[in-house]
Amino acid sequence: MIHMLLPAGDRRIFLAWFLLCLASLALLWSVTEPIRGPYEQIDPGVAKGLFWKQAMWMLLSYVVLLGTSRASLRFLENVAIPFFLVSILLLVLILAIGPKIGGARRWLALGPMRLQPSELAKVAFVLVTSGLLGRAMEGGRSLAAMSLSFVLMAAPMLLVLREPDLGTSLVFLAMWGGMVFWYGLPGILILGAGSAALSAVIMFYSESVVQQALPWGVYIVLLVGVLAVARLAILAKVSLLAANVATGIGIPFFWDKLQPYQQERILTFFDPGRDAFGSGYQAIQSRVAIGSGGLFGTHYLQGTQKGLAFLPERHTDFIFSVAGEELGFFGAVALLGLFAVIIGRGIEHATVARRPFARFLAIGVVSYFTFHVFVNVAITTGLLPVTGLPLPLLSYGGSNLLSSSILLGLLLNVSSRSFDD
Amino acid sequence: MRREHDVHFRSGVLRGVVSLLLAVLVVNLFIMTVARHAEYKGQALENRQARFHVRAPRGRILDRHGTPVADNMFVADVTVAARSLGEDGPDSTLVRLMTWFDLPRQETLDRLAQQKERGRRRLVLVPNASLAQVTAVEERVRQLPGVRVDTQARRRYLHGSLVAHITGYVGEVGRAELDTAAGYRIGDDIGKLGVEAAFEDVLRGRAGLKLEEVNASGRIVGRRAVWMREPRAGSDVRLTISLPLQVALRELLGDRSACAVALSVPGGEVLAACSLPAYDPNLLTGGISTDAWQQLANDPAKPFFNRIVQATYPPGSLYKPVTSLAALYHGLVGTETYLEPCTGGLLFGDRTFHCWRRTGHGEVNHLIAMAHSCDTYYYQLGLMLDIDQLAVAARAFGLGSGNAGIFTAEAAGNVPDRAWYDERFGRGRWTRGVLLNNAIGQGELLATPLQMVMLAARLAVSGRVPDPVFVADPAPVREAPPVLPFAEEHLAWVRGSLEAVVEWGTGKAAQVPDVVVAGKTGTSQNPHGEDHACFMCYAPADRPEVALAIILENAGHGGAEAAPLAGVWLAEYFARRGELGLGVVP
Repeated sequence: MIHMLLPAGDRRIFLAWFLLCLASLALLWSVTEPIRGPYEQIDPGVAKGLFWKQAMWMLLSYVVLLGTSRASLRFLENVAIPFFLVSILLLVLILAIGPKIGGARRWLALGPMRLQPSELAKVAFVLVTSGLLGRAMEGGRSLAAMSLSFVLMAAPMLLVLREPDLGTSLVFLAMWGGMVFWYGLPGILILGAGSAALSAVIMFYSESVVQQALPWGVYIVLLVGVLAVARLAILAKVSLLAANVATGIGIPFFWDKLQPYQQERILTFFDPGRDAFGSGYQAIQSRVAIGSGGLFGTHYLQGTQKGLAFLPERHTDFIFSVAGEELGFFGAVALLGLFAVIIGRGIEHATVARRPFARFLAIGVVSYFTFHVFVNVAITTGLLPVTGLPLPLLSYGGSNLLSSSILLGLLLNVSSRSFDD
Repeated sequence: MRREHDVHFRSGVLRGVVSLLLAVLVVNLFIMTVARHAEYKGQALENRQARFHVRAPRGRILDRHGTPVADNMFVADVTVAARSLGEDGPDSTLVRLMTWFDLPRQETLDRLAQQKERGRRRLVLVPNASLAQVTAVEERVRQLPGVRVDTQARRRYLHGSLVAHITGYVGEVGRAELDTAAGYRIGDDIGKLGVEAAFEDVLRGRAGLKLEEVNASGRIVGRRAVWMREPRAGSDVRLTISLPLQVALRELLGDRSACAVALSVPGGEVLAACSLPAYDPNLLTGGISTDAWQQLANDPAKPFFNRIVQATYPPGSLYKPVTSLAALYHGLVGTETYLEPCTGGLLFGDRTFHCWRRTGHGEVNHLIAMAHSCDTYYYQLGLMLDIDQLAVAARAFGLGSGNAGIFTAEAAGNVPDRAWYDERFGRGRWTRGVLLNNAIGQGELLATPLQMVMLAARLAVSGRVPDPVFVADPAPVREAPPVLPFAEEHLAWVRGSLEAVVEWGTGKAAQVPDVVVAGKTGTSQNPHGEDHACFMCYAPADRPEVALAIILENAGHGGAEAAPLAGVWLAEYFARRGELGLGVVP
């Protein structure tokens, strides 16, 4: 009887999901406690209603998790393409007619619910890419399949970037990167992409911090030297150099394309004191909250920073700083441990699964959680510039909770088969 | 085999990458929470930023020459936190303060309770505090929890009641307005009447947002204040009123209940407008006590009543040019026509309608009737006319509909026609007798002072005056002036007869040296008491540039009472028009 209420597959993953949901509810309860004392007049606080709303989403996500963990994988593979097309259509639709909320078109209003099509698109993208790469894997690898997967990734990524939502658009890149890595990348491509990225960073550093192109010039000269003695085909050497020069020169143009607030965030990241109250405000306040939590935290419901309106977005993207402040180092590490269980088990199931489709599915889910968790926590602890990205399962927000749960359901589905077939 | 090797190699790489990433996070967390814990803890305790709303200075109200009529001054208020006034009375701090400042206990507590009821978190104990009071508080601020000296801009009306009915006043935004108007916070000012209310969006500006460091008890530390959004000051509003002319008009009217409006022709800009008695808007800006408010609101002379656009009077003989034009238009009478001589009245049915001159005017033609305002002549014209013919002529001048636009509760006046009388008395239950009253501007006819001056202005230039305006900047949208249906020769004859009124008729008191004035006297019958004296005029008669209407309540005959005042004001106008840059036609 109790088995009916549990999803199929790896119990440890389900336990991690369950504990993270509990932690989310606990943190949201704390965040939505009314503010008392002199700060009342400065900040009205976060409404308690959000807690109950998220609890309802959690119930729905639980049902969906059960469903996806038991669904037929072949069925999922078959519906992947129509699902993907629909989600692309929705992304186009909200750009055209979606309501503008906080300067961005990200939401689709369905009666009282607001849905982010970009979250559904993540699930659809993982399914459709797994299908594509899995089938290609069975027939021997081909560069054509990889190129096609790049197109599949670029479409939702660019649409989401237009909303604009930089953080979420990068998730597509990360998931694609993970799955393509699993598919097998030629070494020269990894080398090319890595050195081109390095070239971009050095150029950016040269232009904005040193304000002269000298460091980048030195880098290119060094690269030419290395290439001269390397044992590579001439065509490969020329391509590598071209990629480096192109990204290096391209970065200033790309920089001009960024929104001023995005530029400001990146500059602030390199120099946090630059604007302590503007775009550096969130980063500094979040770090103060976590740092002041110490090893054991200020204890549950006792955090001063979250209640005092100094923690911005404290129920959504910055919920990890509330955890850090109230639960301390150990609480924060315990939460990371739960994510590590999901990611570690995910890699395990990707390795042992029989069908290539299932393997890619598992890797897609692993990449999703790795990127979200690492980038979100890195932002709240000041390791990366601020960009909007929720912490899966913990942040307030129905769409992300739902898509994270669907993805975990898929992982559970994969795990249930890796043992018995 | 190679494939299996590949898979294990790749999962190994993935595990490595994930472990590395997690390790970075954990090590960083450890550094933050342990190694730099003390530093962050200190910041959490001391460096707390609070957001403060900073009100934008309200735009000024200027007269047409740019002289301020309303501006802002900075005042210091001694305020206490709302919790100082608990359910069971004031706390010890509040009691101490009231003793120090020697404030009447019960009255002060009532005032504070009212503020608290409105949802304010800080209660103004001493508004507009003196330097001594401010110093007294600042010196002991540590022993006075919750007490603060707040400086803020407060509205100041530089001429008191002089322009009150036009500017209106600002007051604290009310509960109802907080729900309906966007972007207001408790304690903000909002325009309540007149230009202040009509141009609220222009005057208001946008509040700023400032981040201040505050210490644990919420007091501003004063370091590193940063603007998140600078306040944007409201824009000035420039009236069409000319202060020197307004002062002149105000002084003429003295302490009567009266109203007077002067207008540029053909611009239709209100140059001066008085409604008396008036209130001092300064009394209302700092929060007025209930008693003082009641006293003003219940004053029988009605100081809040804006007579310029809200009061309606029968126009009396000011209406006679309209009757003449209607009769001329329909060919019922010529400009030289003699009717039955005036013997002091006219018998209609079994009732005698009296002329104002009971001894009679004798043989009277159209011109003499106008100049001497002979009622008997106009009774006869009335009997020739149809009531709707007269109403159409009146409405052509804008009578019977509101025309200022910026005032709430503006009156439309009344131009009765057949439908109106049928509605009022029932079909067939009224007689042509009403026409006798209508023909001399009495009875059910009603007009506001603003409509009366518009009548004079439109007569002066054959209608080419658009609806009147009180504000020059922001530039108002003007509608095209009405097109009068009357023949130009008839209008010219009326203008000539209005000149005769002042030259040798009932309006001689309005004469001004070196300027030919055209005008019409009137007496507005008042069933509740002494009649109101009316006069309307424009000048110069050959090239009109200014029009004026004066109504003196309960003062008797317009010719004797109102016309002399008009003469004095016009003389002042023509003496100063060059210096004030008025009447210059490009």
